Amino acid sequence: MEMEYIGEHLWPGIVGNIFLAFSFAGALLATFSFYHAAKKDAEPGWEQLGKLAFNVHSASVVGIIATMFFLLTNHYFEYNYVWQHSNTIMPMRYILACFWEGQEGSFLLWTLWIIILAQIFMRGAKSWLNSNMTVISSVQVFLASMLLGVYVLDFKLGSNPFILLREHPDMISLPFTKVADYASKIDGKGLNPLLQNYWMIIHPPTLFLGFASTLIPFSYAISGFWKGRFNEWQKPALPWAYFGVMVLGTGVLMGGIWAYEALSFGGFWAWDPVENASLVPWLTLVGAAHMMLLTKVKVPPIKLSYVLVTITFIYVLYSTYLTRSGVLGDTSVHAFTSLGISLQLQVFLGFFILVAIVAMAWNWKRIPKQKEEERLSSREFWMLVGSLLLFISAFQIIYTTSIPVTNYIFGLEQAPPNDPIAHYNSWQIPLSAIIAVLIAIGQFLKYKSTKARDFAKKISLSLLVAVTLSALIIWGMEMYTYYHWLLLFASLFAIAANMDYFIRVLKGRVLKAGASLAHIGFAMILLGALISTSNSKVISANSSGTDITALGPDFSNKENIMLGLNDTLLMGEYMVVYKGAEKKGINLYFNIDYYQLSKTGTGLKYAFTLKPIVQMNATMGNVAEPDTRHFLLKDIYTHITYADLERAQGLTPEDRELESSDHLLGVGDTIFSSKSIITLEKLDTHIDISKFDLKDSDLAVGAILKSVDILGEVKTAKPIYIIRGREVYTYPDTLDGGNLIFYFDHIDPAKGQVNIRMTELAPMKKDFVILKAIVFPYINVLWSGIIIMFLGTAIAIRNRVRVNSAGKS
Amino acid sequence: MKKTHIIGIIVIALAIGAIISTINDAGTYVTFSRAREHPNTEFTVIGELNKAKEITYEPEIDANLFSFYVTDKDGTEEKIVFHGTKPQDFERSEQITMQGKMVNNTFICNKILMKCPSKYNDGSEEVSIEASGS
Repeated sequence: MEMEYIGEHLWPGIVGNIFLAFSFAGALLATFSFYHAAKKDAEPGWEQLGKLAFNVHSASVVGIIATMFFLLTNHYFEYNYVWQHSNTIMPMRYILACFWEGQEGSFLLWTLWIIILAQIFMRGAKSWLNSNMTVISSVQVFLASMLLGVYVLDFKLGSNPFILLREHPDMISLPFTKVADYASKIDGKGLNPLLQNYWMIIHPPTLFLGFASTLIPFSYAISGFWKGRFNEWQKPALPWAYFGVMVLGTGVLMGGIWAYEALSFGGFWAWDPVENASLVPWLTLVGAAHMMLLTKVKVPPIKLSYVLVTITFIYVLYSTYLTRSGVLGDTSVHAFTSLGISLQLQVFLGFFILVAIVAMAWNWKRIPKQKEEERLSSREFWMLVGSLLLFISAFQIIYTTSIPVTNYIFGLEQAPPNDPIAHYNSWQIPLSAIIAVLIAIGQFLKYKSTKARDFAKKISLSLLVAVTLSALIIWGMEMYTYYHWLLLFASLFAIAANMDYFIRVLKGRVLKAGASLAHIGFAMILLGALISTSNSKVISANSSGTDITALGPDFSNKENIMLGLNDTLLMGEYMVVYKGAEKKGINLYFNIDYYQLSKTGTGLKYAFTLKPIVQMNATMGNVAEPDTRHFLLKDIYTHITYADLERAQGLTPEDRELESSDHLLGVGDTIFSSKSIITLEKLDTHIDISKFDLKDSDLAVGAILKSVDILGEVKTAKPIYIIRGREVYTYPDTLDGGNLIFYFDHIDPAKGQVNIRMTELAPMKKDFVILKAIVFPYINVLWSGIIIMFLGTAIAIRNRVRVNSAGKS
Repeated sequence: MKKTHIIGIIVIALAIGAIISTINDAGTYVTFSRAREHPNTEFTVIGELNKAKEITYEPEIDANLFSFYVTDKDGTEEKIVFHGTKPQDFERSEQITMQGKMVNNTFICNKILMKCPSKYNDGSEEVSIEASGS
């Protein structure tokens, strides 16, 4: 019997599915039409049909996205995608993150960016329109098919974003599907707490725009070979390649910033497979862009440009396969889970690898031959070497990242390197150092050939500056890892030489200095990453009593510190105090106060408070988010690695295990509590009678106890001792929020002493946190490098676009 | 020989070098019995948390010492000592990937990666949490 459901909103799903069908059909028709239009002596109708079909495709994709936002904002949880990725308690500002959290949404984002770029491209495409659009539209066919969710002969094609929750294969015949009005009763699963972050709103769109932008140079390269325009395609494709370098680079680095600010990596870059997968196409694209510059030299590197441009696009597809097919499963923290589209992604990838190889092989004999060789002293020779090094760098990263793939293909059982950071660094530090040296010398080399004496004269200043600065930094920062010196020197050399070129040759004209600025920015990124990472210092050393090195020298891990509520511990040059946790929404903020030790080591000054978070998410698990204090010259990063969340929220009654001790004190004598020194200042007989309900005949004495804690804070307690006739009373006084109680219960007039009974809450039974704190020095060099590289590349794009449009008129 | 050829050879040599270094540095997925046969050698083991046995974490004594029991795919059970803090939601983990070595009848690890099923377990949803001790 068919179930009659109440309260479902089915019409938006129907509309969405119509858009999906039109999007797919439009892309398919556009590919077919543009292909015919690109042929010699094609009828003009094909081009018009292609444009029309592509516009239908574009409008449909916008329609799909609009429909999905409509579903998300209205909380229609009867739709699987809405249920999977959002809920009602989640702040609405994260609705964008909900949209692209899932595979379907992120494919749509990618498709949308390609559409926007293609629409811009078509406006100024001229003779490249039909052949390029054939390539672009064919990519859109694959992307559109990822969302179809239809079965073709038992094979499921894509994953449909408009599928209903009750129709989802995992949900069939679950109890809720028997409830007619389930739609009004359910709430969604919500957004992964890791993604409820400001960076998640800007990082994915930037990265996907970068991915999308690699398609335009790819389409130029394929058309160039297809149409026999071997040395023509580079020039119009170059601004697009620069654009890709700028946007993809920013996107990759934003991922690093996100990891640094919001994830618990404890650093900027951890060589995580997902990070690697986005970095690799950027490296080859940078190589490609430099090769594409060389169309006017005697021996243009046509084949290398072609290989680098096509491999960039193929790496983008391969990254998509790595991160979305589920193949990385065991090795990455944030890979997408499989949606059963692995095979489809393999076909997508395989198809374009085949296209790239066939186009190359077909034309191999027709590519203009190199008659001469570049000279060793020419700029183009060293640019070529640099591009090849970028290619090697990319290859090394992708090969190690692909261990799960080689396991899958060859049935191996290799695990990722035990120490991935050391593994990657052993290749990437020397490679990046050589590349940085090439960046330094590049601008002072001339095309064709350079006179040795001129070159030496020009470069010597930068060399001197770089050597001096390196020596100072090595000495000042105590950098004793020699292969770090290599990169330190190389990046300083690159910065100095490009600064020099900018000032002496370009006379400080910023609008001419795109390349110089981009190179300075890149070298600053290398320098900042090197110094902040290699000289980062874990200041949260374990000061607890147990020596764990006894278990083995390799495992002497003392990076986490335990801090009880209101306890104070020394951490680096700071004293830290845990001031308790406060709950705001689903976040638990832990207040960690930092006090600066004065130079003399006696006084303490309040410096700042960091509030690392543990987010309590019932469905996704709890996630810790660090908090970082930024200074001009360093960052202090603090991260909760463990906390008893119930206790921190005050949900468990405190185990009031009290420790009491009696002390016979004379005036001036001192006793110690766990956190302070207490001195009996004097005995005071001036007692406010009314406060204690005393009679005139009572004898009342107060003991003035002065407590000085580790931070130098002075507090006074005044327990009272009362003799009324034959009875004795004591009025205790407390300090430290009631954790420390004083009773004044005896006077020994003969010895001039009084008995103070001190009761203290056992310190370890209270709320505590375990945290890790790291100082990252000079990380601002890295951040400034990112901005400078972005600006430099933007200027280079502007100049390229101007040159190209001037050349056409 | 032409310069292009020399460069080509260098590029190929570097690429082969990269492949070899990856093979050298790569870890191996093994079972506990294999790790036992080669004590003090670093391996990666995948297993399931034994929730019936004790999971010990006493930050009051040592915040960087955490121990539990894991059964690997052959059904061998070992005591695990992790030098780091206890990951949040550890008890909910279904599958644990551990990197470490066998020392005196204990598998001492410096890195654990866990997979948790979501509360609405549909089998496809996984949350991974990485904890690293070093």
